[in-house]
Amino acid sequence: MGKGMESLDKAYGILLIGILIVLAVFVVLCLIRAVIGPRIADRILAANMMGTMVSVMIAILAFLLGEGYLVDICMIYAMISFLAVIVLTKVYMGVYAEKKQRDETLTDGQDVSENSRLGQESPGEEELQYDRV
Amino acid sequence: MSKKVPKEQYEKTFSYKFKRWLDGTKDPFLGTVEMKPQEEFREDQDALERRKRDRKRNEERVYDLERNAELRVFQKVYNIFGVLFCVFLVVMLLTAVSWLPTYGEADKPVNNEVSARYIENGLQETGAVNIVTGMILDYRAFDTLGESHVLFVATCTVLILLRLDRKEDQERFDANDRLHEPKNDVILQTVAKILVPPIMIFGIYIILAGHLGPGGGFSGGAVIGAGLILYLNAFGFVRMERFFTAKTYRRLSFCALACYSLAKSYSFYTGANHIESIIPLGTPGAILSSGLILILNICVGIVVAGTMYTFYVMFRKGGY
Amino acid sequence: MTVFEWVRFLAGAALLLSGLAIFLIEMIGVFRFKYVLNRMHAAAMGDTLGIGLCFLGLIVMWGFCFTSLKLFLVIAFLWFSSPVSSHLIARLEVTTNEDQKKHFDIEALDEKLPESGGKEEL
Repeated sequence: MGKGMESLDKAYGILLIGILIVLAVFVVLCLIRAVIGPRIADRILAANMMGTMVSVMIAILAFLLGEGYLVDICMIYAMISFLAVIVLTKVYMGVYAEKKQRDETLTDGQDVSENSRLGQESPGEEELQYDRV
Repeated sequence: MSKKVPKEQYEKTFSYKFKRWLDGTKDPFLGTVEMKPQEEFREDQDALERRKRDRKRNEERVYDLERNAELRVFQKVYNIFGVLFCVFLVVMLLTAVSWLPTYGEADKPVNNEVSARYIENGLQETGAVNIVTGMILDYRAFDTLGESHVLFVATCTVLILLRLDRKEDQERFDANDRLHEPKNDVILQTVAKILVPPIMIFGIYIILAGHLGPGGGFSGGAVIGAGLILYLNAFGFVRMERFFTAKTYRRLSFCALACYSLAKSYSFYTGANHIESIIPLGTPGAILSSGLILILNICVGIVVAGTMYTFYVMFRKGGY
Repeated sequence: MTVFEWVRFLAGAALLLSGLAIFLIEMIGVFRFKYVLNRMHAAAMGDTLGIGLCFLGLIVMWGFCFTSLKLFLVIAFLWFSSPVSSHLIARLEVTTNEDQKKHFDIEALDEKLPESGGKEEL
């Protein structure tokens, strides 16, 4: 009976540590995705995925150490990553809308002045002026 | 009741001049220097146009990648060196961590008789099963008082720097507020309605069970603050102001800090003999045990939750 | 009793390994798809099924105690919150993408939708 329990413990240890190593490699891959990803949404997505995988790692560690209350940390981690996604998306949508509004007001001003300046200065003169700088 | 003075007389008083100097509307040269009347400066449309074109041309010439081989090589080398530096930093830090002594070895200097005494007598003297909470809220309660005040001072600093005081700024922000943000999202609102109550209850559970397991005031307060931020993001400021305004925050944080200070500073008058208080320790493992720790946890939790929410609101809008 | 323990170990291990397989498929998907919205399909898979199976395996391993209830609550919270995350990321991508025609088509609806989707601020 004693020998059975020992091999069971060893089996638990090998399985769980193996899963932890694989999940750690996945987290590094997610980080690569966050660095490469061409758009902002790629990066937010990668951060969310990392949070989920780390949650699983914390739960497995809680089992390995035998302490039940460490599972609270999983809950907090999931909550914080959810909140981060919400706030980041709102901020980026706001930034985009603000930039678009500013560009619109700028281009309106430009169109008006373009019509009034037709044929007043030759482009060659202007080139010379700026080249000297 | 003060008598209202006529306008010309008011403009001669010291307080009017001081206020104008403070606001920055005072013209320092008016009345002291002989000046010709100036006309208002109007930006020439041509000049504006030319400046914009200048800037665009400048950027194109400086970052001209097709003709500038040096710049291309530099960009590639910069990327590679950036990655190498990060890898080097990570490897160095990991090596340093691997040289640390094994966790919990008996002959390392961190396991000396000081920590042994606290571990042996901790449960008996404080009544808290969680020795760390017993440490920070009973043996070292004064340090935690200082920490709560640090949070309070940080909030004051952020308020000074970021609060929109003037009415015009506030109105201009309110007019533009929802313009730069997406309109209300049905999915987010429905899910927030379901999720915010459990988050609050979870935060309260962490605060109350601080002396029985890991948790305590700081983490529980952070969770409650996160719940408030989620509610604000889903529903907007108008609905938030039904139950959490600036007045609420002021009253809550004042009461919490005052309660903590009064509970733990009577030792200044009793000659530093204050480990024992009137409240009995109770049986360890029950909620109502360990004397003052429960009350202090609640005070710290309230301060931290208010601080987190205030920081978010100050950075987002500049006011409640 | 050891038979019961071994059965519990095998059941928990099977669930954990299938959760890990789902994470592996998710990583392959995230790296091979070409556009953000496609990658999001793959990523949402891990958030819901992957973590659900892993935590179910851990619940089987813990047995019938308070910790299993906490793990179950974490699953419930994640199943509520991760579709909302996907929805918000997709919304960000659709509203801020300049060259949309390259990746997806936008169909015109027959009737006009109201301006704001949710309740206005009261």
